[in-house]
Amino acid sequence: MKKFTVLLTIFLVLALPIFAGGEKESGDSVKTVHYYSMWNEAEPQGMVLAEAAEAFEEQSGIHVEINFNGRNIRKTLEPAIQAGETIDIFDEDIERVSFTWGQFIQPLDDLAAKVYPTTNGKPYESQINSTLVKLARSFTEDGSLSVIPYQPFMFAFMYNKALFAKAGITEVPKTQEEFEEVCRKLMAVGITPVTVDDGYMCDFFGYNIDRMIGSEKTIEMANNNDFSDSSVLKFGQIWEEFSKKGYMSAKAASNIYPACQVQEMAPEKVAMNLNGTWLPNEVSTSNPNIEWGTFAYPSISPEGDGIEANNIGSQSFAINKDSKCREEAFQFIVFVTTGEYDQKLADDSNGAPMDINNTWPKVLSEAEAAFNSTTTRLPWAVGMENLAEVNAKIKENFSKLIAGSINAQEFYENMNK
Amino acid sequence: MKPNRKMIIVFLVPALLCYLIVFLYPSIRTFIMSFFNVAGLSDSVTTWTFAGFGNYKTIFHDRMFQQSMKNICKIWLYGGLGVMLISLVFAVGLTSGMKGFKFFRSVIYLPNVISAVAMATMWIYYVYNSDYGFFHKFLAFFGFTKASQILWTGPAHLFSSMLVAYCFGMVGYHMLIFISGIEQIPVSYHEAAKIEGANVVQRFFYITLPFLKGTVRTNIVMWTIFTVGYFVWGQMFSPDNLSNQTVAPMNYMYELVFGASSPARTVRNSGAGAAIGIVMMVMVLIAFGLTNLLVRKDDIEL
Repeated sequence: MKKFTVLLTIFLVLALPIFAGGEKESGDSVKTVHYYSMWNEAEPQGMVLAEAAEAFEEQSGIHVEINFNGRNIRKTLEPAIQAGETIDIFDEDIERVSFTWGQFIQPLDDLAAKVYPTTNGKPYESQINSTLVKLARSFTEDGSLSVIPYQPFMFAFMYNKALFAKAGITEVPKTQEEFEEVCRKLMAVGITPVTVDDGYMCDFFGYNIDRMIGSEKTIEMANNNDFSDSSVLKFGQIWEEFSKKGYMSAKAASNIYPACQVQEMAPEKVAMNLNGTWLPNEVSTSNPNIEWGTFAYPSISPEGDGIEANNIGSQSFAINKDSKCREEAFQFIVFVTTGEYDQKLADDSNGAPMDINNTWPKVLSEAEAAFNSTTTRLPWAVGMENLAEVNAKIKENFSKLIAGSINAQEFYENMNK
Repeated sequence: MKPNRKMIIVFLVPALLCYLIVFLYPSIRTFIMSFFNVAGLSDSVTTWTFAGFGNYKTIFHDRMFQQSMKNICKIWLYGGLGVMLISLVFAVGLTSGMKGFKFFRSVIYLPNVISAVAMATMWIYYVYNSDYGFFHKFLAFFGFTKASQILWTGPAHLFSSMLVAYCFGMVGYHMLIFISGIEQIPVSYHEAAKIEGANVVQRFFYITLPFLKGTVRTNIVMWTIFTVGYFVWGQMFSPDNLSNQTVAPMNYMYELVFGASSPARTVRNSGAGAAIGIVMMVMVLIAFGLTNLLVRKDDIEL
């Protein structure tokens, strides 16, 4: 009896962990789609997608189980898929999905060629933003469409229209000279023209260099960690002068992300910030009343790119290559990227729609024009974030330049150490 | 009562299993991974390719890793000196019979209890803010206008600001260790010394400090472990991407293993990340060994 008691105790103690832990293989029927989302439940995008899932289920009978990971999905998706968790749809930045998670995705051309209830009787692919579809195809070796873009964005100057009006500025700048004139007018009425924080200093630097020598040389500079080109010295000279004149906020030297948007743009202390078109949405919780405008980074030199070259991108959906409900999953993707819920996603998140028949929100009307006139797509930060060492070097020296603790020549020398 | 060996085994097995699965297996896997080229942390072993000491060579030649090592050496040395001195002073002061011992002990320990994320947020967005922050207003109030305009999170002060904020939260922890060491010193030694005419300072240097050798060793080892595992504060002071002033090896390892927040960088290198982890472990072992060698524990003669 004693032996039996001991054995039973051992068995119970060891068996306990079997009942712990979450669900793995749910054993759901084909009518449930599992969506591993990059959004938080409380974010506008999360709330709209949850609502869309309910509406989708009412219309189609297909249940969408959403797991709101937030940006933590960058760490959790791969282990989850490799552990065998049932995931049909996942999303994140288009490059991250296409490259980092490329091994988990599958071509969707056949599904994109079909007609759906929300595509006005036309093939789905013809009803969504063709620029981004082209971009998505460019990320695959065979040109297949393996990710479905949504929430398009552009990296450009986001500005406060009311502050521009106060300074008597009626047109956005397209050249460096016009940009300097805009800064001068803003300073004249006591408004700080530009700000940045450590999250976007590399983008700022990258765009400047691109406008001086073009994207190919800029990316090469970044990838080779070779800053000997004279454009680096010229960048130092421009922003040393602009910082002395007060065109760049003095606080920018100490801004830790997201300080520039929260502490300077939201309280309307500064007029312009080089950021993504998601900025109005991110600032709306602090100040929903800002009238936003957008303009592409002005051209600087004829040897560089002009305002037609910009970093554009999007988030994107992908379907797990091992998904057992591929068609149902794609139907949900179509449901949220066309028609009513695509518009709602755009409106509620101050984001851009994917459906070509939907309208961009008012805060992004100028962004729409700039986006559509982009003919050259620049990579993120024009490559200046590709290497951790380069990223850190730019941040440190640009901060020092803004603070005035180094001059342009010292900036150039430090960038070449 | 005879020890029941079978029951001991029954109750030890779950703890042992937890240790093996949650601690030992990942440690061994990390050690092995450091000798292979591995992209994703959870990639199948069949995708690993042998790299020998390649990952170690890569990280030791990597400027970001070199910078992170410089940073934790500075944190260990300067932060350690500051924290040990201040916590020792607090410990001696609180155990000298002052009133409100329990209250002050709790207050000084409180920052250590609060989440590091909350503390760092408070420091960055309140204490160091150059518009409305505590330092700005305090210094401006007393007429130190130039000092009040210091950009505490600017490039010149970012590292030291982060270090001060970190050390502020660590003083309480080390103070408690010193207090427990001081409270073990037999009171009779202090009484005898008082009778012989020794003052407070003499009693501190000739009685308290010698008895605290073991405690000092414990504090150094704990401080070393915390320094090697330095992560949250580096993340908070540079949340979006790595900075030269705030990067620690754990921050760099995190970026190598899980990828950067920037979508531009889609490549991960878990093998190099694992190598960093092993290097950190070796550093702790070396520090522990050196501390044991240099600070010998004397037996207390009673």
